[in-house]
Amino acid sequence: MNTAAAAAAQYLALSRRAMFGTLRKPTSFVPSLLFPLMFLALTSSSLERSISIEGFPEVDSFLQFAVATAVIQGVIFGSISAGSGMAEDIEGGFFERLIASPVARTSILAGRLAGTAALGFCQAWIYFAVTSIFGLSVEGGLAGMLAVAIVAAALAAGVGSISVALAIKTGSAEATEGSFPLFFALLFLSSAYFPRSLMEGWFKAAATLNPMSYLLESLRSIVVAELSALNFFTALGIALGVLVVGLAVASALLKRRLAMDA
Amino acid sequence: MSSLAVTWGVTHRTLQLVARLPSTIVPSLVMPVVLTVAFAGAFSGLVLLPGHPADKAIDWFLPLYTIQGAAFAGVRVGIAVARDLTTGFYDRLLLSPASRVSLLAGSLLASPLLSVLSFILLVVIAGLGGASFKAGPAGIVMLGVASFSMALAAGAWSVGLALRFKTQQIAPLMQTTVFLASFLSSAQMPLNLLDGWLHTVAVINPMTNVFALARQGFLGSVNWHDTWPGLVSLAGLTVFFCLFAYRSMQKVTP
Repeated sequence: MNTAAAAAAQYLALSRRAMFGTLRKPTSFVPSLLFPLMFLALTSSSLERSISIEGFPEVDSFLQFAVATAVIQGVIFGSISAGSGMAEDIEGGFFERLIASPVARTSILAGRLAGTAALGFCQAWIYFAVTSIFGLSVEGGLAGMLAVAIVAAALAAGVGSISVALAIKTGSAEATEGSFPLFFALLFLSSAYFPRSLMEGWFKAAATLNPMSYLLESLRSIVVAELSALNFFTALGIALGVLVVGLAVASALLKRRLAMDA
Repeated sequence: MSSLAVTWGVTHRTLQLVARLPSTIVPSLVMPVVLTVAFAGAFSGLVLLPGHPADKAIDWFLPLYTIQGAAFAGVRVGIAVARDLTTGFYDRLLLSPASRVSLLAGSLLASPLLSVLSFILLVVIAGLGGASFKAGPAGIVMLGVASFSMALAAGAWSVGLALRFKTQQIAPLMQTTVFLASFLSSAQMPLNLLDGWLHTVAVINPMTNVFALARQGFLGSVNWHDTWPGLVSLAGLTVFFCLFAYRSMQKVTP
């Protein structure tokens, strides 16, 4: 087997391990899958009349307005399991055995993040399938749903990389899972749940500064209006930006950890 | 040792246990504050809807998250009891000559006491955030009555579950049921602005009355019309879940 083929096999094996490791533990992905759906059902029902407020963007229903938020919320919460998986590997000694083997160092990160991205991609389709039963129409069509799923996968890898960086730094699954409020706050301090046009004061200023607002508004446009290159690339660019930052931090911390263990 | 001393001993230990575990105190203390700020900010435009009774979003959402924070304090106590059951500490308590009612009362008393901190914090946040306090101290008293009673009811439900299942894995059921009971009501929107299935559920959900009791001082004056249904609902919930916890305690064996 040549070097490239060996590296590809390592990437594949580690991403499969990350993905099946998550799927084998329903407690790590079922809440992140169900909670946003439950919250979406409740808010869509209770806030339905709010779409008639002057200044609210033109939408068919609150469900149509909020579905992109539910996808991103689910993806963010689900991606934290990438970090806890890595932390469990460190706590359980698997990480030590892995670095003692001749496995490519980059595959340690890439393998886990590829698995997380694949789960994020599937999660978006599950959300569209469930909400379609309840009357959701995506104006961007199937191509629009695919675009949202691609952004969801990229963001899953990005949030997963930050979570993995925390796992490498702390080596504790509990501490990694403790990062949940950070992402939660990032989501809430944005236009995730209500349009910025109806916000006021410092909250509106915070939501305007928060890149999450632009990611969500771009995805929302794909759902409520049409698929446009500008909206897709704006959302993808922000998700990839998170991934680049997360990967840079995770790689630096991994290098430091390997140097300490050597 | 008197029954009262046993009850206080168990209460004291539960409070200490929860305080020593930041992972349990943070959700019941920090999350209500974060959620109040986030919802009052994000949904500030919601009060523009014709028929909405609040002048400011904080007047609507602060009582919701004060009550939910109190309920989650009860859930934390349930998780602490489940932990004691898992580690075997509770078995030792059950083998002691202390009466089971005293042991149960000790755990249940910890719930409202634990919620005092988040209540004070949220009232301060309300002041800083410009909440209306239209009814003055009477409104805060109503909010306190609703919060501490909900902490007791949710604590009894969670402790009852812990005693029945004897595992910490029951925690998600405690949290999900408390969350659903809150949100399947007038938690986010007033009853007159709800439609469809949620309106039907909210009308029969006693939590709608509890929120009306807690919110009245922020929306207008304290009046008997909004007070008595809330008090009856709280009394019903508390008695029902305390009986559930008592029955669970009777069934538990070391």
